[in-house]
Amino acid sequence: MGIINRGTIHLTVFALIVLTFPFWFEYTGGYAGLDTKIIIWAIFALGFDLLLITGYLSFGHAAFFGISAYATGLMLLHYSSNIIEAMIVGVVVSTIAAVIIGFLTLRRTGIYFSVLTLAFGEMFHTAAVSIFSGLTGGENGLTGLPTPTLFGEKMQGSNVFYLCAIFLIIGFYLARRITRSPFGLMLKSLKSNQTRLEYIGINVQFYKNSAFVLSSIYAAVAGSLMVIYEPYVATEFLEWKTSGTLVIMSVMGGVGTLFGPMIGAAFMLYFENVASVFLEEQWLLALGIMFMAIVVYLPGGFVDGYKRMMRHWVKKNQA
Amino acid sequence: MSEMIQKPDSNAFFSVQDIHSYYGESYIVQGVSFEIAEREIVALLGRNGAGKTSTLRTIARAHEPFLKKGKIVLNGMPLHQLEAHQAAQIGVQLVPEDRRIIGGATVEENLILAQIAKPIGWSFEQIYEHFPRLAERRKQQATTLSGGEQQMLAVARALARDLKLLLLDEPYEGLAPIIVREIERILLEVKKLGITTIIVEQNAVAALKLADRAIILDTGLVAFDGSAQEVLDNKELREEYLAI
Repeated sequence: MGIINRGTIHLTVFALIVLTFPFWFEYTGGYAGLDTKIIIWAIFALGFDLLLITGYLSFGHAAFFGISAYATGLMLLHYSSNIIEAMIVGVVVSTIAAVIIGFLTLRRTGIYFSVLTLAFGEMFHTAAVSIFSGLTGGENGLTGLPTPTLFGEKMQGSNVFYLCAIFLIIGFYLARRITRSPFGLMLKSLKSNQTRLEYIGINVQFYKNSAFVLSSIYAAVAGSLMVIYEPYVATEFLEWKTSGTLVIMSVMGGVGTLFGPMIGAAFMLYFENVASVFLEEQWLLALGIMFMAIVVYLPGGFVDGYKRMMRHWVKKNQA
Repeated sequence: MSEMIQKPDSNAFFSVQDIHSYYGESYIVQGVSFEIAEREIVALLGRNGAGKTSTLRTIARAHEPFLKKGKIVLNGMPLHQLEAHQAAQIGVQLVPEDRRIIGGATVEENLILAQIAKPIGWSFEQIYEHFPRLAERRKQQATTLSGGEQQMLAVARALARDLKLLLLDEPYEGLAPIIVREIERILLEVKKLGITTIIVEQNAVAALKLADRAIILDTGLVAFDGSAQEVLDNKELREEYLAI
């Protein structure tokens, strides 16, 4: 195959689309700033897919997004406006939380796992607005952050966009490598038969925890970038709504496809911000109807829809 | 009775020493002991509910049944202290009767998965040489294989690991007679490889064809331990415990 294989082509095309995003996005009715937000949510959703392929549906990933956001915000506020330390601390703190929560929740499967993660997520939200309100700014969120900097350069506008874009491209590259490796195959197989895997010598618990932590690292990076994009930490970052939005994005886009959840994220944010101009408050209703339609008629999400269309098209051309 | 059979400091390649295991509250395996020499093939027989599969699953360190008491030693390694995946890593391979394959993965991916944990056994080339049918279907979704092919894949997957003790749970269950013959052929080949094997089977005659020795279980205890030929020759024994 040489150096130019399908993987390289996919990655190059992906990188080009992401890097040129701001140039063509405004022609579709988008506005500057929304592109960055889409990229950040795409990172969040992409990482979440690494957990979803194992068949574990977390309703608590807002915790890792939010914890990282708060840690980053606190670092910017109290330590320095340099994003390197802030991001590292944000991701590390959040990952530690993920290791602990993963250890506790992954002992259960199915709905029990989902409910446990939801409970843990809400616990962090409640803690942030109550006992830790002195630190977190309570219901008002963390405000008064300085403009973040990187090597003295102010992180604003397109600087932030390209920072996020680089993270997304690296994140996509890694996620692709992971899902195509034996390790990724193992993660996918967790969904079908865990006992069977144990009989062939695989420490299932370890791999489940790895997937959980991996997806949390993506969430933490996204949370941290969100604060750099908009130097303010909202309490809703930690709320179950954030976790729920993530799940809806993934399902609409197509679980387990890597591309799907990113497309889902883009679609949802675009719809929220652009379509709401015409639909006003009704946009949520429209989104709900669309979500239901996808779950019922297109369980594989947008990616599945695309594949079906391609198959149909190929058939038609052959006939 | 178990006192008599039990040999606490066994030197055998594989030994089960007075194991007691439970499914929740139900006491299933009630003090089973036996030894197996290296390269020996043992048929574990008995009526429905005698505790054959439970004994096998206990040896494989499945989550259920739960081992409360007793020792299981393979090549000097205390299996009773290990978890299922650790037992698999030191060479125990259970081929269970149901859900033999991993869904959502191709034939080859099933084999790749078997070689994630070290140490590994046969190479893919060796496997495909012995199982040409699997080679033909390597890119096929494993769930779309026929029952016999799935069984073949399950055996191949066990061989892909560094296999010291093969546990076969009802390998002929639910297969058409023609497929049974094919699996028989595969198992005879496995026998030639000299892999220590325990085979649990309702179809006692088929199992005895393969086995060197037979152990008959009755209500969770060893009722007979002798050569396979003895069981085939002893009509009373067969009628009492095997109903054949």
